[in-house]
Amino acid sequence: MAPDQLSDLLSRCALRDQRAFAELYRYASAKLFAVAVRITRRRDWAEEVLQESFVNIWNHASGYSPSKSAPMTWMTAIVRNRALDLLRRPREVELDEDHEELIASIPDDAPGPDELLRQSADAGALAECMKQLTGEQQKSITLAFFHGLSHGELAQQMQKPLGTVKTWVRRGLERLKDCLEPRNA
Amino acid sequence: MKLESGELREKLAAEYVLGTMPARTRRRFNTLLKQMPALRRNVADWESRLLPLTNVLPEIQPPARVWKAIEARIHGNRPPRTAAGFWQNLSFWRMSSFASGALALALIVFIGLPGPQAPVELPGRMVVVMNDLQTKEPAMTATWEDGKQGERIVRLRVMGHAEMAPGTAWEMWMLPGENEKPVSLGLITTHETQTMVVPASLAARLDGAAGLAMSVEPAGGSPTGLPTGPVLYAGKCIKT
Repeated sequence: MAPDQLSDLLSRCALRDQRAFAELYRYASAKLFAVAVRITRRRDWAEEVLQESFVNIWNHASGYSPSKSAPMTWMTAIVRNRALDLLRRPREVELDEDHEELIASIPDDAPGPDELLRQSADAGALAECMKQLTGEQQKSITLAFFHGLSHGELAQQMQKPLGTVKTWVRRGLERLKDCLEPRNA
Repeated sequence: MKLESGELREKLAAEYVLGTMPARTRRRFNTLLKQMPALRRNVADWESRLLPLTNVLPEIQPPARVWKAIEARIHGNRPPRTAAGFWQNLSFWRMSSFASGALALALIVFIGLPGPQAPVELPGRMVVVMNDLQTKEPAMTATWEDGKQGERIVRLRVMGHAEMAPGTAWEMWMLPGENEKPVSLGLITTHETQTMVVPASLAARLDGAAGLAMSVEPAGGSPTGLPTGPVLYAGKCIKT
């Protein structure tokens, strides 16, 4: 669906048109659910995130402004922020065995996001720019972005000192920005 | 924190969007976001850069119970009055009663609508510059042209960053002229640009209208079919 059509659906949602909302859900829910599942790594949490996010989209559709962001970007940000807030919420109950079966649906042999990025022919300029990063920069950014890892968790996961990981992330982001918007000398 | 520094804002916004901030910093950052438009812009820029990354994820179909739960939560939430939605069907605006708001509108028409302050070059057969009645500044423009089957396509442009109070709606009215009640054109949003379709049955009256106005109504629109709330913006129709 073209961004214009999505914006139009959002305007109609702002006017409380439930049919437009249902259409929006049909189009975007599987994409957004994938985002939530990746970050939360638990189906039940991802479902909670998706539910909260769509209620949020419905309630705040009138605040969406097409001049500020693309409709999918706006909705993806809502889902990611919900998921990250949930992930960062102090957990009273740690994962126990009962929860194991709920743990994400991503099989171990499924390609990781960095693999998907490499394969992706159509991820466009961003994928191209990702390829220009060093291996460590790329890995730390994709791990953080797709799995919602904090700097500390990243350091643990990559078995490197915190400072090193932070530098990879920072330099990687700077390079991405420069690559996406080359400065006019 | 010295957030006047563009560099620091940029760095924090990138971390926020990437998702590496620890819980406490995220909470503080969320609070700051509400207060600092400049920071919101930094975040929006990073979202535009990074969020397309999610395009590479294979879709995962959520179970049907998620939609059921969402529907249940929004259901009591002011369902649309017509199955066709607001844009398609304006016929429910019945002109049955005469509310005090209509009197106020009629007064605006005849005491004198604010005229356009500066010449505005816009395409279309009609142009209306609507002023904020309090500040006397231009706040919205409307132009329209012929649509298919006698409809009129009205293009609206809301200037500045207007905000709608929660639980209210903005309703557009055309003011047909002397001794005629305002006619609702439907609800609008605060979006900068938007389009309304006016049915053929109202086209002639719209083309001959003296002016347009926007009033604040309860959510869902005026319950009486005539303006009941304060008129925020109004302007005269000018032929182009």
